[in-house]
Amino acid sequence: MKVITFIMSLVLSFNAFANDTNPAKDLLIEMASAVHTRNFDASFVVVKGKSMEPYRWVHAKQGDIELEHLSLLNGAGLEMIRIDNQVTYFEPQSEPYSLTTDSIAGPIPEVLFKDIERLSAHYDFVLGGKGRIAGRPAQLVRIESKSEDKYNYWIWIDTESSLLLKAAYVNHQGEALEQLQLTHISVTEKPASLLLEVLNRDFPTPLPVNSVDEQTKANAMNWTIGWLPAGFELLKSDRHKLDLNNELTDYYLFSDGFVEVSVFVQRPLPGKRLSGALTSGATTIYVHNGGNFDVSVVGNIPTMSAKAIAESVSRAL
Amino acid sequence: MTKAHVNRLDNESLSALLDGEHALNDAPIASDDVATFGRYALIGDAMRAKENNNNTNFDISERISLALESEPVYADFSQPESTAEPLTTQGDKKVVAFNWRKPVAQLAIAASVAMFTIVGINTLPQAEDSVQNEIPLLQTTPLTGMASPVSYSSAPALENAEQGLRELQQQRIGALVLEHQRQARAAHSLKTARKDDISQEEKN
Repeated sequence: MKVITFIMSLVLSFNAFANDTNPAKDLLIEMASAVHTRNFDASFVVVKGKSMEPYRWVHAKQGDIELEHLSLLNGAGLEMIRIDNQVTYFEPQSEPYSLTTDSIAGPIPEVLFKDIERLSAHYDFVLGGKGRIAGRPAQLVRIESKSEDKYNYWIWIDTESSLLLKAAYVNHQGEALEQLQLTHISVTEKPASLLLEVLNRDFPTPLPVNSVDEQTKANAMNWTIGWLPAGFELLKSDRHKLDLNNELTDYYLFSDGFVEVSVFVQRPLPGKRLSGALTSGATTIYVHNGGNFDVSVVGNIPTMSAKAIAESVSRAL
Repeated sequence: MTKAHVNRLDNESLSALLDGEHALNDAPIASDDVATFGRYALIGDAMRAKENNNNTNFDISERISLALESEPVYADFSQPESTAEPLTTQGDKKVVAFNWRKPVAQLAIAASVAMFTIVGINTLPQAEDSVQNEIPLLQTTPLTGMASPVSYSSAPALENAEQGLRELQQQRIGALVLEHQRQARAAHSLKTARKDDISQEEKN
């Protein structure tokens, strides 16, 4: 009898556990699908400290084809156009190029438009308070890093349309470092005619994406990166020249599914070099003088984490 | 001088009329050739202009109106608002003519990068976090009004070298940020490709 009760209680508790869904995660999943299915035209600004970048974001679903256009409105600008799973980037002073991916890598972390589930191992999803953002009722969802080595990300979601209204990188002291705020959004039945025009255009053929290939494996042997925040894994590694100053660098790209971190190992600059950090919004650049080489770490991580990564780099034996 | 000059010309009555010496009545004008009339007017204007050191370019209205005909229309308000400008140039199907592709954009050296470095210095973390304070913060551009170390100010050559180094470092940081932005774009497709690889290996 006891055994039966025990088994019954096990089954019951298991069922209860299985049914225990996370409303915060559900909201994020709803948002991801809303962003892919609705026709909308939005404007937002990204505030990084004292600087501000305005963007326009238009999305349309024409039949089975998704169209998306994101453009930076200040300065020389930056245009990103997505047709289904081909994204083309137009940058000043360089040829446009395409990538095969189903989301634009802009100021909003890409994973929010995809499977949020893969973040579960290293982030918690917490429901926050309700508020009014961009003139609409909004629900706050906090994506909180399980360790202090990474930033938290807060998202305010429209309770009616499930679209994103505001987002912010928040440090563990609760200070917003970089904020993204929609200033206007209109959700329409029909796709914007401006966007449909894109369908009649030719775009560059997508560049082939090699996964961790032989070159990466060989190059990864050059340097040992001793420490990384939990969850980061190597996506790419090679040796190439930088576009702007033509300097040669050993390059490593890491990601934990939410943020990306680049590690550069370069020939040292002449003269007295100091190690130090530079920040803009949530992005940190840490330059470390490693003796006969320079290590630079760039990514949306706290300064302390970038410093620890940079200092952990040593020549592989 | 003007009057004396013109009066010597054969058609005295017309000339006098132009110079305002004669009262205007139809008879003399009608009888005269229009071309002669115009020529006299031009001569008079030219001489008057010479006195004022001015340019002798007259009656350009016709040329202006001709030029206007062939001038491209920049803002045609007569067109209905709904016909939005297409994103791209007509004829050529290749997407090239986004607004930043105009020549003026060429002047801006990867604006986002330039902005980054300058902003980075202005928004260094304030003295709130004691841990962050332990980290020295880079100065890629010298702050104005800051006293420079004695050794630099006494040796201009050294100062120049220091300046050069700073520029080199700033250039490098700009290049790194741009490279990070570009590489991060491919991160998700790399990740998916990697997952596919792993699942393939598991199957095999």
